[in-house]
Amino acid sequence: MSNQKVIKNLKSFSTAAERFEGSHVLCPGCAHSIIVREVLNATNDNLIVSASTGCLEVCTAIYPNTSWDCSWIHIGFENASTAVAGAEAMNKALRNKGRISADTPQPKFVTFAGDGATYDIGFQWISGCFERGHDMMYVCLDNEVYANTGGQRSSSTPIGASATTSPAGSTSYGEKKNKKDIVAIMAAHGAPYVAQVAPNKWKDMVAKIQRGFDTKGPVFINAMSACTTEWKFQPHQTIEVSDLAVDSLVFPLYEIVDGTELNITYRPKNIVPVRDYLAIQPRFKHLFTPQYEYLLDEWQKRVDEKWVYLQKREEARV
Amino acid sequence: MNKSIKDKGWDELELGAVLFSFNNTVNYTMAEVLPEDRDYAETNSKNAYVGDWRVFKPVFNAELCIDCQFCWIFCPDTSIISRDKVMQGIDYDHCKGCGICVEVCPTNPKSLLMFNEHEKNEDALTQWPEKSKKGE
Amino acid sequence: MNKKIMELNEIEVWDGNMANSQALRQADVDVVAAYPITPSTPTVENYATMHANGYIDGEFVMVESEHAAMSGCVGASAAGGRVATATSSQGLALMIEVLYQASGMRTPIVLCLVNRALAAPLNVNGDHSDLYLTRDSGWISLDAFSPQEAYDITLMSFKIAEHKDVRLPVISNQDGFMTSHTAQNVKPLSDEVANKFVGEYLQVNAMLDFSRPVTHGVQTEHDWHFEHKAKQHAALMGSFKVIQETFDEFEKISGRKYKMVESYGMDGAEVAIVCLGSTYESAMLAVDQLREEGIKVGIVAPRVFRPFPLEEVAVALQNVKAVACMDRSAPGGTVGALYNEVAGALFNTPARPVLTNLIYGLGGRDMTINELKNIFRNLIKDANNGKLTGKIQTLIGVRGPELSFYEQ
Repeated sequence: MSNQKVIKNLKSFSTAAERFEGSHVLCPGCAHSIIVREVLNATNDNLIVSASTGCLEVCTAIYPNTSWDCSWIHIGFENASTAVAGAEAMNKALRNKGRISADTPQPKFVTFAGDGATYDIGFQWISGCFERGHDMMYVCLDNEVYANTGGQRSSSTPIGASATTSPAGSTSYGEKKNKKDIVAIMAAHGAPYVAQVAPNKWKDMVAKIQRGFDTKGPVFINAMSACTTEWKFQPHQTIEVSDLAVDSLVFPLYEIVDGTELNITYRPKNIVPVRDYLAIQPRFKHLFTPQYEYLLDEWQKRVDEKWVYLQKREEARV
Repeated sequence: MNKSIKDKGWDELELGAVLFSFNNTVNYTMAEVLPEDRDYAETNSKNAYVGDWRVFKPVFNAELCIDCQFCWIFCPDTSIISRDKVMQGIDYDHCKGCGICVEVCPTNPKSLLMFNEHEKNEDALTQWPEKSKKGE
Repeated sequence: MNKKIMELNEIEVWDGNMANSQALRQADVDVVAAYPITPSTPTVENYATMHANGYIDGEFVMVESEHAAMSGCVGASAAGGRVATATSSQGLALMIEVLYQASGMRTPIVLCLVNRALAAPLNVNGDHSDLYLTRDSGWISLDAFSPQEAYDITLMSFKIAEHKDVRLPVISNQDGFMTSHTAQNVKPLSDEVANKFVGEYLQVNAMLDFSRPVTHGVQTEHDWHFEHKAKQHAALMGSFKVIQETFDEFEKISGRKYKMVESYGMDGAEVAIVCLGSTYESAMLAVDQLREEGIKVGIVAPRVFRPFPLEEVAVALQNVKAVACMDRSAPGGTVGALYNEVAGALFNTPARPVLTNLIYGLGGRDMTINELKNIFRNLIKDANNGKLTGKIQTLIGVRGPELSFYEQ
């Protein structure tokens, strides 16, 4: 049980002493840093953080500047999870051997990685870490493309999105495949806690982060990260896009405990049509042409089906 | 110790290209000590400047602000300064002018508005719009 | 030191893998993150068995791939403790990017590399392909020719890696199967003596030291990258001093003397071969047998492959009239690594022996004492003629028409 700080409301949350500094070189309006700030401010514990190669890493640790007020490591693209797992193992070893005294409070081990690193190139590494049961939290910053290299598709890119390696054109509507269900896959590892969060719903997110920090074992958090540069909306619209994502249920907010107990944690008062979420992002603008507009209905259908599924699973407690 | 990192040759740099966040030993819980009480290293990005990214800047109107802290939490650049639950203002060294703070501000009229970078804040405050009515 | 001590005999019968495992145990490694691959697997299996029987206090993490093994090692090392792993061939190839990352990040990891051929075709036997693949990775690389040497060198690797003036990862090489699976007499140090020799781990920029938050593994642009690579290279080149000191200190406690460049029979030798690994020991017998016939031949082997002891190799080869550089790795379209290093070493000296490159022993093909004697005899011929008999590079021991390249 950590010395969990109590966050009653946003005003009390705002008294947090930041550990993620400004003058990183992330894009104006980038959701990554909103997410990182929420995660780091949710705890007072010492932290060891790792990041995969990607926007966050490149923009916050570019020599000679670091934006991290806690210890931090980047090794490569695939292995951010394993980096922190190694640190977690060392912490265990040094405590067992008495080289770190038992009164030293336990630090928290956190990995931040993009969807490219999580869904694709680093998947084996995360799977290994979760199978081994390291006491760590893995936060996927999901902007649905390889943003740092200019917006190539990943297996998180949703169907119909135009990415640079799955561009929309006269004979293509962009990404042909459906987004991989990473939360289900990680829950299937038997992880004690997995959840989907969005930074605009800060209360939901912070509650889940705190729960994750309080959980022994590997925790997976999929954080929606609306990307102004690659989704092509204006920088000031980041929160608006995130609101549309969760209110249209394109990005439902839920958690799965011990792989079986699914809880929907946000039920929009008014469910917004999926097309409103898609319409605000130029990466989907070709779906609003006669040639491809049938996909809008398919999108709505899929989102509706997923929502029904989530509710059924929540009820069935399996 | 006092030599700027920019003037250091390969032999004087820290091995492994590691960077320290602070100058001296931290013997406190970092998360409980406010930034103004920390001894940031030269290599902490807090000491860098990205204000020149801006074309437009947010201007803060303290009289209208209700201290809801939306701008604080949704700022990607840790540039909204809040102390003791009260909004202090903008950190213009780190603000990139993304405009999220203005977007999420719930007051009417807003307590934060974007103005041209060259506009003086005092002048901007005199140009504040009136409360907008429903449907406007 | 581990809480439970293992009482060892004055002479043990260990293969190279067990020699590794015992050295790792005595070194009191804090985290071993490993993955099995032939022929290094027993290093890890023996370690697991010792761990399961309470002889090892550190953490033992069996990861899901070799890349993950080295990644976990880097994370653990940056966190601040003693770290080691073992692999071969394909596993080494898979983790190669992490080797570069580890050395760039100056994490003093020890890698027990049991040298095995690289596919394709797939081959589990011993050759130096994987050793050669690590050439530019920025690791210190030491070569053991026997199980005794594997034990000694793996122990010394920690001391060298963790030294405050080095802080670089070290590879402890040995031939797959020929050394790793051949049991020989090994004189171990006692747990206490070995552990005292290796010493306590020196923490540098440890992430677990919360009094000094540190950022590891940054990105550098064109304006900073070169300085850091230069610094890394300087440390690698500067490690000669620490390596020699470690050899000297080891000699005091064990009576066994290690040199940057090993040599045998070089006193008055007319010709020499340069080689690595267990070939050295076979060649020693060839040298002795030829000397009985009055033919004076010698062997030179860089014990320290990286940093490459250019000057010592040049000194060792100044007085011979012909040299065969024997490379146990597919040369990939040019002369072999040892040929290049030796030629580079000799070029700025007066010595101009006839220099030939022999590619041999790939995929575990045996190099017999008789074959070595023939090589020496051919070198004598070259020496007497003052020039190469054939071409510069020959692949020897291959069935089919002769395969030689590069006219003199």
